[in-house]
Amino acid sequence: MIASKTQAAKPKVGFYGFTGCAGDLLAILHCEDELLDIFNAVDVRSFLMASSEVHDDEELDVAFVEGSITTDHQLESLADIRKRSKVLVALGSCACFGGPQTARLGYGDWKERFKKVYGNTKHTVAKPFESRPLDEHVKVDYYIPGCPIDRYQFFFALTRLAQGMSVELTTFPVCAECKWNENECLLLKAQLCLGPVTAGGCDSRCPSHNLPCIGCWGPAAEANVASEIDLLKERNFSAEEIVSKLRLFGGAAMVRRFADLLGIKAEVPARRPRPKKVREPVVAGKAKKKSPSKRPAAKSRAKKR
Amino acid sequence: MSLNRIKIESLARVEGHGGITVDFKEGKLSNVTVDIHEGPRLLETIAQGRTPSEVVSLTCRICAICTLSHRYAALRAMEKALEIEVPPKVRLMRDLMHCGEMIESHALHVFLLALPDYLGYPSAVHMAPEYLEDVQAGLRVKRFGVRLMELTAARSIHGENPVIGGFGRYPSKSELLRFKYEAESLIPDAERGVEILRNLRQPTYMEEGMTFMCTKPEHDRYGWVADRILVSNGQEFNAWDYRKLTNERVVPHSMAKRSRFQDKPYFVGALARFNLLGERLDGVAGEHFRRCYNLSWIRNPMYNNVAQAIETVWALEEAPRIIDKLLTHEEDPAIVAPSRDKGAGSAAVEAPRGTLYHHYEIAEGRVVHTDIITPTAQFLDMMESHIRVAAKNLTDEGDTDNIELKLEMIARAYDPCISCATHLVKVRGL
Repeated sequence: MIASKTQAAKPKVGFYGFTGCAGDLLAILHCEDELLDIFNAVDVRSFLMASSEVHDDEELDVAFVEGSITTDHQLESLADIRKRSKVLVALGSCACFGGPQTARLGYGDWKERFKKVYGNTKHTVAKPFESRPLDEHVKVDYYIPGCPIDRYQFFFALTRLAQGMSVELTTFPVCAECKWNENECLLLKAQLCLGPVTAGGCDSRCPSHNLPCIGCWGPAAEANVASEIDLLKERNFSAEEIVSKLRLFGGAAMVRRFADLLGIKAEVPARRPRPKKVREPVVAGKAKKKSPSKRPAAKSRAKKR
Repeated sequence: MSLNRIKIESLARVEGHGGITVDFKEGKLSNVTVDIHEGPRLLETIAQGRTPSEVVSLTCRICAICTLSHRYAALRAMEKALEIEVPPKVRLMRDLMHCGEMIESHALHVFLLALPDYLGYPSAVHMAPEYLEDVQAGLRVKRFGVRLMELTAARSIHGENPVIGGFGRYPSKSELLRFKYEAESLIPDAERGVEILRNLRQPTYMEEGMTFMCTKPEHDRYGWVADRILVSNGQEFNAWDYRKLTNERVVPHSMAKRSRFQDKPYFVGALARFNLLGERLDGVAGEHFRRCYNLSWIRNPMYNNVAQAIETVWALEEAPRIIDKLLTHEEDPAIVAPSRDKGAGSAAVEAPRGTLYHHYEIAEGRVVHTDIITPTAQFLDMMESHIRVAAKNLTDEGDTDNIELKLEMIARAYDPCISCATHLVKVRGL
């Protein structure tokens, strides 16, 4: 009995993956030294990639969700996860911003592209549609960006959330980390580096290897966007080149923030309103249990968008 | 953007969500399908019109666990298209990073994903109390693979250090030496996986003859990168003729395309490599291979687990040999620039779970055509076939206890990109 009580005291956590490369969940499996500790510190109720023991009908304290949403089945299951979870965390660039599969969002050519890949075959498994990040479908409480995520940011978030605390991740861009690492600036060498506008937390991995930042962590909260555009234009990069690079990983989120500066307003996709029933989850008889204190008060950095 | 051609015949990607449906009618097996529910990403169409280096960063994101194999295949295909000849040190570094991925992916699959089935646990974490030393040995080997990828590629997942024409940065001599000694010290840990699997009885209810395929290195040693493809019927093909081998098609129950060779399903992966090139294995791995190999290996996909365990040992023996060669190259070569801005190139590499093809066509410095055929897409038909045989044999014999697990184990032995591998089977109407 005591054992089951201890078990009940541990926060219930679920790990879920939708459309993406599964790299963020894999990054968690890559924490070899801490893996057994993670599974001991929290009560993992679902982690399909690691365990066939899955309980997918229970309420969760925290759900970590990787990937973007591209089929009707995924949308249903995301809504279900949201309904069952006190806190929902978007894990990785695809979940936070849509990832590379949203690189052409807003161009309106998805149906045509789908046909080019799959022909006219009618799929029976699910109804597919163009990829969108999680927060265009349900409320997201926290965003852990990355392609893939950084294990230390994940540990930090997991530790805080397991104790019912809020999570504040880095708000500075890669550029700041690059300075701390004393790297030579690649923009000064006329390379198209997205370090100044991309979310930090990767330890400026690419510039530290003499390679320009490709923007895979999505937009930084505290970025001097205008200055970056000026710098790049001064170095004779065309708006088309800049947009192409920004869109590849930042997807819709990146372009929305850069639209005015680049004069590409027409291409910016509208934010799709979330379905009402999903946004305000009501679990019969359980809704009143939800006290505001259980949901961390502090807003994540991405809320500031 | 003016495009003169988009001809895309390959899948978005497979890792993630799939299912198996076995249908019975009046107690008789009527249909078996491996359904892939993974959402479509259309990455080939995202690649359209982008620069080759953007596309290399994009296509490695198809799959997190095969990321470096994708990157290696993409770099080789792009370099063929752009007529880039890379110096020997670059090739050695790429082979070293490839070892890292094999070690990491195989250790994850053998110790964390496959073994729990044999020993009757839902996961390696559940297995840990009873088999702590084995789980820890597996984690040590896996962690070394992860760190070797970090060393060579800058990150274990989607590392950007390998670029067209070379590397952004090279590891130092002392780092390389440290990794060399660590690899050697981990061989006993990897052998533990071989020993456990060797002493387990492999189920036989799915056995059926298979066609195998893998890349055939030009040199006479074992290896994972080549321009020639060897088929178990004795035929050989050039990698750029890959369409003759894979013959992709779309099926309604799968977001992944399917492949067949001469209208027959085929197997790619460690088991195919060992059946076709196993005699080339040297060192401790070679000894293990000769001790474990038997004629069931040509009919039983479960031996893929054993083959992967032995291949992990080989990769740990190979990495120090590559490092020794790397240490003879003092100078870090500069990144080689392309000599032209158009062309076409195809390349094949062995990903941990089988042969992977990348093909690109480039015009005016932009990618105009992308074709990628992943190993999982190639072996899905073979997997479906083995599951059908197993379902039939098991139900004919009335042995239907735990049939879901038995069928799942077959799927897992193929090591489809990992998230597919864990929870697959749905049996209806039984």
